[in-house]
Amino acid sequence: MKKRLYLELENCIGCRSCLAACTQCGGHEERNRNYVYDVNPLVNRQTMPLMCLHCENPACARSCPAQAIQIHETGAVLSALVEKCIGCQNCTIACPYGIPKFDQEQNIMYKCDLCIDRTKDGIPPMCASVCPSNTLQWLTDEEIDNKKKQFNLDNGKWVTSMPYLEGETNVKVNLPGILQGITKLF
Amino acid sequence: MQRDKFFKEIENLNHPNEKLIKTHCSYCGMQCGMNLRVNTQTNKIIGVEPRYDWPVTVGKMCPKGVTAYQQTNHKDRLLKPLIRDDASLKGTAEGFREASWDEAYDLIAKKFKELQTEYGKDSLSVFSGVSMTNEKCYLTGKFARVAMGTRYIDYNGRFCMSSAAGGFLRSFGVDRGSTLPWTDIHETDCLFIAGSNTAECHPTSMFRIWNVQERGGYIIVVDPRETPIARRADLHLDLKPGTDLALANGIVHQLIGMGYIDEEFINKHTNGFEETKELVKEFTPEYTSMLTGVAPEKIIRAAEIYGKAPNAVVMFARGVEQQHKGVDNVSAYTNMALVTGKIGRPKAGVATFTGQGNGQGGREHGQKSDLLPGYRKITNPKHVEEVCSVWGITPEEMPQPGVSAYEMIELMEQKTIRGLYLLCSNPAVSAPNLNFVRKAFKALDFMVCSDFYLSESAEFADVILPSVTWSEDEGTVTNIEGRIIKINKAQEPVGESKPDWQIQVELAERLGRGKYFSHLKTAKDVADEFRLATKGGYADYYGATWDKIDKQDGVFWPCKDEKDEGTPHMFLDKKFYHPDGKAKICALPYRPPAEEPCEKYPLRLTTGRVVYHYLSGNQTRRIPFLHDMCPEPYVEIHPETAATYNMEHEERVRLFTRRGEAIYKVKITEAIRKDTVFVPYHFGHEESINLLTIAALDPISRMPEFKACAAQLEKVELKKVQ
Repeated sequence: MKKRLYLELENCIGCRSCLAACTQCGGHEERNRNYVYDVNPLVNRQTMPLMCLHCENPACARSCPAQAIQIHETGAVLSALVEKCIGCQNCTIACPYGIPKFDQEQNIMYKCDLCIDRTKDGIPPMCASVCPSNTLQWLTDEEIDNKKKQFNLDNGKWVTSMPYLEGETNVKVNLPGILQGITKLF
Repeated sequence: MQRDKFFKEIENLNHPNEKLIKTHCSYCGMQCGMNLRVNTQTNKIIGVEPRYDWPVTVGKMCPKGVTAYQQTNHKDRLLKPLIRDDASLKGTAEGFREASWDEAYDLIAKKFKELQTEYGKDSLSVFSGVSMTNEKCYLTGKFARVAMGTRYIDYNGRFCMSSAAGGFLRSFGVDRGSTLPWTDIHETDCLFIAGSNTAECHPTSMFRIWNVQERGGYIIVVDPRETPIARRADLHLDLKPGTDLALANGIVHQLIGMGYIDEEFINKHTNGFEETKELVKEFTPEYTSMLTGVAPEKIIRAAEIYGKAPNAVVMFARGVEQQHKGVDNVSAYTNMALVTGKIGRPKAGVATFTGQGNGQGGREHGQKSDLLPGYRKITNPKHVEEVCSVWGITPEEMPQPGVSAYEMIELMEQKTIRGLYLLCSNPAVSAPNLNFVRKAFKALDFMVCSDFYLSESAEFADVILPSVTWSEDEGTVTNIEGRIIKINKAQEPVGESKPDWQIQVELAERLGRGKYFSHLKTAKDVADEFRLATKGGYADYYGATWDKIDKQDGVFWPCKDEKDEGTPHMFLDKKFYHPDGKAKICALPYRPPAEEPCEKYPLRLTTGRVVYHYLSGNQTRRIPFLHDMCPEPYVEIHPETAATYNMEHEERVRLFTRRGEAIYKVKITEAIRKDTVFVPYHFGHEESINLLTIAALDPISRMPEFKACAAQLEKVELKKVQ
């Protein structure tokens, strides 16, 4: 059953387990490929993770002159192929979310590949596996639809979609406000 | 066992040429399930894989858990015993030379015997910890009393868990940190969480906690800081540090006044309600607000939500317990559950977040100065006899009760205690009033430290024995819920390091007490004797065999025999452990913190954790990822307070109290009270906040008041820092 990465931003507690876990994925060579931002550090402790959204029509791949960025059949946008990447950094500039990182020593771009060695076999990516706050979840489309029904923002625009983001993405994001409209038990 | 909704039926990834060893994290009381990845060619641990089949944490881990495996093959591991010949270098990492185990053992035995001949049996002491297995905790208690023959043994749980233990013992007659399994807590209707920065200290509880809100339940948080959990709580009671007792009394006052009490439960199953009702009369919302600084409306609302909830769990942690009235605080919050009858059934109860890995088991099996295995009292002749029959000594040989951890340090400074065997603890960072503690350690005639890294405390030692990490030994641990779980061995010890139980068996031989220890040849031998020694005690582990633990995903104590499956929920029969079977509702007058702010020290200092470090940081500060995320301590100040001192973000300032001073980087945040500053405590040497904290002890638990003292800030000239 196809599953997608789903982000419930408001759950984030800033523990950065996702970053630590990313270093543990096979082939990531102990370098993490995602980010956690302090939203307003002088005010409160709100943080948010930023992972590659695995766009259906990714700007990084579109901008790559060497076709080094492949899209896997599961929808995952893979890290640059070593044999093709020319180190031009077009992708790091093109990505609207600032995801691809550049390794100066190896002259190559590297980015989240949605733990393809795990997800292709139905095993969750490391970040979603360990996330202790359920900010990152690994869900079926049906489960995501249920979330959509449960967490219904007043404006009806709750997940990433045109025209608010770059385009359709394989990773779904729940904008802050998930508890809005929750019926209290008592 | 029924799987809860978070259970995932996912296979783990099996990499080629690797095997997965099921075990649990080395750090906090959550004891998250994890698989260690072991290379089958080198037999070394090389990584970690989530353990989706573990019912409590279903594969979830915090950054410490993810990187915990890196401690075992770390370059800083101690590989051989170290001896220091020049005592003048004590307190530094200098002057150690490598030695053989034989030389180290001979020296220890010689020095211990000399000291005891000259100054008596009780001139030696043992200071241990609870980040180790039940078997080790048990054997350490036996080693101190049988091999060393001293009354002076205590442990770092005095800095961590003993107030919760004292409070539960007084209220329920038994001390199990959680009256319900963690797999229940997301199904409750209201979580009342006091003095716990849960998101940072026990992150893998968070998916269950958020789920309470997502189902429409309520979260009430009591904390002077707007921690990540307080930020999203339905109600944040932002009290002044050290005023929990007033708040709890105020809420109980409201629960009674608003009619949320369960009279039938109170009459049938409790004592002390009338006295408590009388005592809390004066704790009106206005009076409580005056003491605590929490708005009266919030106090009323908190009582209303908790009172109305069909099921609710009261949870607390060190914020409540690390005060000189920690035991009273615990009992006072427990009163909330007792007056409303929200205890003794699934989805309702009381729980404390265990800080150390085996904070629960470690306090039950005889490392405390007054306790013997199975939570038996050393002052009870019947209990002493039961343990003596297992140990093979006579009751006359059993030493008297000793004193608590900090009081032991005081005796070292006074030269009553001359020798120390320290293991699995780093009091030179984690004890309060550190300038005094360091002086006391320097005053010792002879000190042995067993550790796998050269800790700040090991710097005071004459002999350092290299011990193993959690992944090089096996045994059981009791997690936050009271669930006994199994730690498995993933690789052979590095260098010449040895497990502590083996060190103690070998050392006992040298001390001439081998006959009481020589039958213990494997960790399993220790486990079997340990289970037997707990049989019939309150904390009865006899039925918790390693096989059963594997089969049942852990066993909750008490577990009395082979057929007993254990006790996930406490008090389901509404029988408490006091002789009359009733719980005690405690009438507790309010006392302010030991040290109140004054003109010279106008601020309140409180301390705590960050998510990246564990306890004194001796382990986590060495892990590159964790070090990078939080390389140094800081002082959190509210922007308005910072403005009055003319201090800027990231500026270095001097923080001082009556006991000491240290220089920290300012972190400006609105997430703290204006009258309070906060510093994390995981750092050593001149960065340690415990240079400043106060050693005011709780009269019952003997726990120091880490969470509140009076402090002052001062700008520092740049040249001073350089």
